[in-house]
Amino acid sequence: MKRAEKWLVSVLLAASALGATAPATLAYTGDVWSNSDAFKANCLGFNDTYPQLGNSLARSGLSFLGYAPLGGALGAQFTRSAFLNNVFYDYAVYAHTHGDNYWAASGAPNVDSGLLQDPGTGQCNSYQRDVIRSSSIKAATMGSSYNLVVMSTCMLGSSRSTMPDAFQIEKTKSSTQREFYLGYAYSTYDSSAIRFENAFWSYLNGSSDHSRTLYQAFTYALSLGGYAIPDSASPFSPNWWGNPNYNGTPG
Amino acid sequence: MNTRSLQLARSVLAAGAVALCLFAASGRLTVATSVGPSTAGPKDIDAALASQHTRSETEIRLEDRPDLLSRADNVRDGLSLPAGTTRSARHVQDGFLAIEYDEVAELDGAGQPVSMTQFDGTGALLVAVRFDNPAGGTIRTTRDGAIGSAKRGAAQAGLATVGQPTVDTVADAGGWYVHWDRRQDGLPVRGDEVRVRVWPDGRIQSVARVEHQLDKAPARRLSQADASTAVTKLVTSWSSPSGASYSLQSLDLQWVGPNAAFDPAKLTAAPAPYRLAWVASEKPIGPLADYVGMVTVYIDAGSGTVIGGDFVE
Repeated sequence: MKRAEKWLVSVLLAASALGATAPATLAYTGDVWSNSDAFKANCLGFNDTYPQLGNSLARSGLSFLGYAPLGGALGAQFTRSAFLNNVFYDYAVYAHTHGDNYWAASGAPNVDSGLLQDPGTGQCNSYQRDVIRSSSIKAATMGSSYNLVVMSTCMLGSSRSTMPDAFQIEKTKSSTQREFYLGYAYSTYDSSAIRFENAFWSYLNGSSDHSRTLYQAFTYALSLGGYAIPDSASPFSPNWWGNPNYNGTPG
Repeated sequence: MNTRSLQLARSVLAAGAVALCLFAASGRLTVATSVGPSTAGPKDIDAALASQHTRSETEIRLEDRPDLLSRADNVRDGLSLPAGTTRSARHVQDGFLAIEYDEVAELDGAGQPVSMTQFDGTGALLVAVRFDNPAGGTIRTTRDGAIGSAKRGAAQAGLATVGQPTVDTVADAGGWYVHWDRRQDGLPVRGDEVRVRVWPDGRIQSVARVEHQLDKAPARRLSQADASTAVTKLVTSWSSPSGASYSLQSLDLQWVGPNAAFDPAKLTAAPAPYRLAWVASEKPIGPLADYVGMVTVYIDAGSGTVIGGDFVE
């Protein structure tokens, strides 16, 4: 951490020198990343519209909670380097793409979860080229804390997932920090994830003073039911870790 | 440098970056900016979808709706959900889920909901849920015990259940989901169900009913052979631009909700009644299988047209 600290101090000094007219308020940046090119006609034979739906919904939800500015990308600008270069500044991160709990470089049974970047216009995903490992994310965060992380992917909400730790979020349901991680434990239909996330954000939108907690929103959304599943081995199973009393606002 | 100072540092850095971007935009500085705000894709679709991301609530005076409170009390007590020290009621127009309902919340001394019930316009229960966490008690019920709890809970909530339920274990937190999946004319209604979540100690956390309006069944139904031909033709058309290959896993008649999965023009369309459709699940073969688990297509059982679908990405 010492090198990072020195670097930060240097940059802060430079920024303060340059930014005499910088905004007085702090920025609570959020990034919303959606892989769409891998789900277009050149890969699937048709254009899948769910990435657009999820991206729009997440931007609306994070904005309601007060994250600003919102960055990220829908499509080709969702690259590994963009994700890793921006994640340090984030207070909230949303990603919609393919995710899984891959074996770590050290081999089984060690897991190093990952998600796939957008492959770029006209390209399809290749695991070797496109994976963003949780270990890489953890390194890029430099130990900073995160308020809200939503992995709208398959598998990254399972108990084996190492993704929460990439954001310094312990896999406990009794944290007292201002942190909340949401993911899905199994393979998940997009329609089910979108229905769940709609219910989640809707519940939060019910209190303009942000008196409702993310845990309540999760519990409500899960209780609603109506979630289609791809097979009996993959029941609809969103999962969370973090602080049950946290309302999701940044800072 | 501790976590808090690191957080402060990145806030200042992010704010500084915004300032620098503003400078750059005004032409006073030339800097390369990485991915930042305003890169969210088609703004027209975003704007149209934003109108769905709204929720309006109108307070209901408790003395005006004794019927609603009576129903809420019955469900709360029947399911042994926690009672609050006060309660509130409201009519909700939920644009996110495109539904309207009356909601009664039991509130604790701090104004936080401890349980909640929602009812549709006919007074039927949509969902009842408790928000407290199960204590780590020593009482543990069995799967059969969970089914018994769920049956009693559904009955107490006034929901009819028929036949044997499906039971899934709850990942991570433990307990069970016990659900009775809806069928109409012997055919499944996709996603519709009565669902009960049972905690490991046998108490009920939630009861929900999902029941969509169904369109009329088509007078003339596409045969399975004709549906199979239509699906094969469709999948062949997918292979042409992409080279993707798929393997048909199942082809079943179901009631489904038309959606925009294959048609962006329908992204902002209002929900339509469920239609009878042949539901084809296609599993990708080859490199595509590394990141797409399933493609599901709804073929209208009357017209043979694609009316929606679903994906496992």
